[in-house]
Amino acid sequence: MAKIELTASEQPCELKDAPPTPAGQPLVVDFKNVTKTFDVGTKRAFTAIKDVSFAVENIPHIGEFIGVLGPSGCGKSTVLRLIAGLAPQFPATSGTVMVHGEPVTAPGPDRGFVFQDYANFPHRTVLDNVAFGLECRQVPEKERRDQAREWIAKVGLDPKKDALKYPHQLSGGMNQRVAIARTLIMHPRIILMDEPFGALDPTTRQRMQDLLVSLWRELEATVFFITHDIPEAVYLGDRVFVFTPSPGTIAHQFAVAPPDRPAREMQQEPAFLESVRHVRSLLDKLEAEKDNRSS
Amino acid sequence: MFKTWWKRALTIRDAPSYAEGLVFGTACIGFVLFVWWLLTVGEGDARLVDIYTLPSPGETFATFPELWKRGLSLSIVISLGRVIGGFLLAAAIGVPLGIVAGSYPRVNAFFKPLVIFGRSIPIAALIPLTMVWFGLGEFNKVMFIFLATLAFVIFDTVNTVNAVPDRFIDTAYTLGARGSRKKGARIAAIAGVIYGLLIMIGWHMLSESNGNGISAEVPDPSESTWAAQLFTSAAVTRFAAGFVMGFILWFPIAGHQVLRKVIFPLALPDIVNSLRLIFGLAFGYIMLAEVINAKTGIGALIINSQRIGPREHIYLCLFIITMVAWGIDRSIMLLQRQLFPHIKHGEN
Repeated sequence: MAKIELTASEQPCELKDAPPTPAGQPLVVDFKNVTKTFDVGTKRAFTAIKDVSFAVENIPHIGEFIGVLGPSGCGKSTVLRLIAGLAPQFPATSGTVMVHGEPVTAPGPDRGFVFQDYANFPHRTVLDNVAFGLECRQVPEKERRDQAREWIAKVGLDPKKDALKYPHQLSGGMNQRVAIARTLIMHPRIILMDEPFGALDPTTRQRMQDLLVSLWRELEATVFFITHDIPEAVYLGDRVFVFTPSPGTIAHQFAVAPPDRPAREMQQEPAFLESVRHVRSLLDKLEAEKDNRSS
Repeated sequence: MFKTWWKRALTIRDAPSYAEGLVFGTACIGFVLFVWWLLTVGEGDARLVDIYTLPSPGETFATFPELWKRGLSLSIVISLGRVIGGFLLAAAIGVPLGIVAGSYPRVNAFFKPLVIFGRSIPIAALIPLTMVWFGLGEFNKVMFIFLATLAFVIFDTVNTVNAVPDRFIDTAYTLGARGSRKKGARIAAIAGVIYGLLIMIGWHMLSESNGNGISAEVPDPSESTWAAQLFTSAAVTRFAAGFVMGFILWFPIAGHQVLRKVIFPLALPDIVNSLRLIFGLAFGYIMLAEVINAKTGIGALIINSQRIGPREHIYLCLFIITMVAWGIDRSIMLLQRQLFPHIKHGEN
């Protein structure tokens, strides 16, 4: 399934070999021939993903960052929602979805989800939004508020000024910071992000990318990050999955240089731009194939 | 000056200042009063419309002290009491039921036929039946309002719950929201106690104020104190029934964190908004019920003014009803703004 696209290189920004999947180790996420078809047996039957297989191995103390690219409507979100256990994408029609060696049965706080439109609860202050997960876990009020303040500061908001504001009083970037804090406070082992920065302006976006990189290093979690922005995927990712148009399968899977410098700096380098150009040409080819098939 | 104003006035969606809007509103009232005055000016045959069909504005407002003496304030209180009683009962049952039905589509499928029936039936057609079932007294009025509004409350609540975007529910799940029966049972028990007390006291008040109707249960006022009558064995049974009802209605909501922490609070602003609109509807229904069958209340005041006179009181009553209904609507709207600062409501 996973083709190796490029040869290994020591140059920081070039694409490297995909790591071979070692057998016998506990896998963080393991997809085996997963297919999801909606409205099975009706005229409206629609296959979102077909025969998707991949594995993310468990490297102690290091989480992997996986950028997911692909044309619109190719089932990228379906993959994330299957990992999260969210209906109606969950459960899969066929195949197995394993997380930490166990089949997924329901959503849970060990798999955090960040949506494009933040989904911050409008009736709760920033503080109570961030503390929501701890509240569900019945952590005492003082403790969860202290932790929430800590995380509000970590995502670059002011714990004094912003904590008691409501989401409608915040900008898009600030709202996404709240959503990230609310997810990460639960210390999820897997963070699923569905185009989280899609609605942000380029400058805010780069700042959020840097923020995400620093937080992710600290948490050592595995991140799945859907985006339409190729530089974003290449910059943030350790690995990049490229999906085919619907019904989605993984067409390419390769390793890229980790983000070891600030976004603005690294995204200017020729080697990085070359990587982006390469991925873009792959995506364009996939789109062209789809157009040929449909015409 | 006028030219620029005229140009703005003819601009589509050009918003006038507050004062300008007020001027236009006042102009409308002035226009209506002017037409009214024009139709009724003069004496005897000189009037365009005779005094029995339409009294002049002056004649109408001059009869206000007389209307006050006929017990206007008490009539307003009685009418409002009937509406609030029936409406509260409908809200107390319809809102939790609607939240549960909106969250669990199978529950909704079960209640749907009843809701469709209740929403489609012409409300006036229910009045004869409520007389058969609930007598001619206060109980009848309250139950009429209850039956007339319940289906609307359930229907609107289901819709507001359905309007809560999935992403909030998904988010709650991925943050670990789950069923919490213990806490749910505690909260539902509190709801049960409140429901029990309300039903016990409400029933008592209804059966006590049944002077103008026929009731199966007429208490003897000379026998004992109000409080002693309240705690009879029948009353305790009513409390128990109310407790069970409150518990059953609220346990599914309180017993799941997604419903309690996300769906209910997110739907609440819209639920209150639709309750405000349905309250306006209920206020209209009580007039209908009172015009048909009542000895007290504003509706009775109107029908008596038509039959016995003075006819001027009909106009005054209509005016007063409008002011009361509008006042209540505004008060609830103000309350909504206080309760839900994050949402804009009732701008139109």
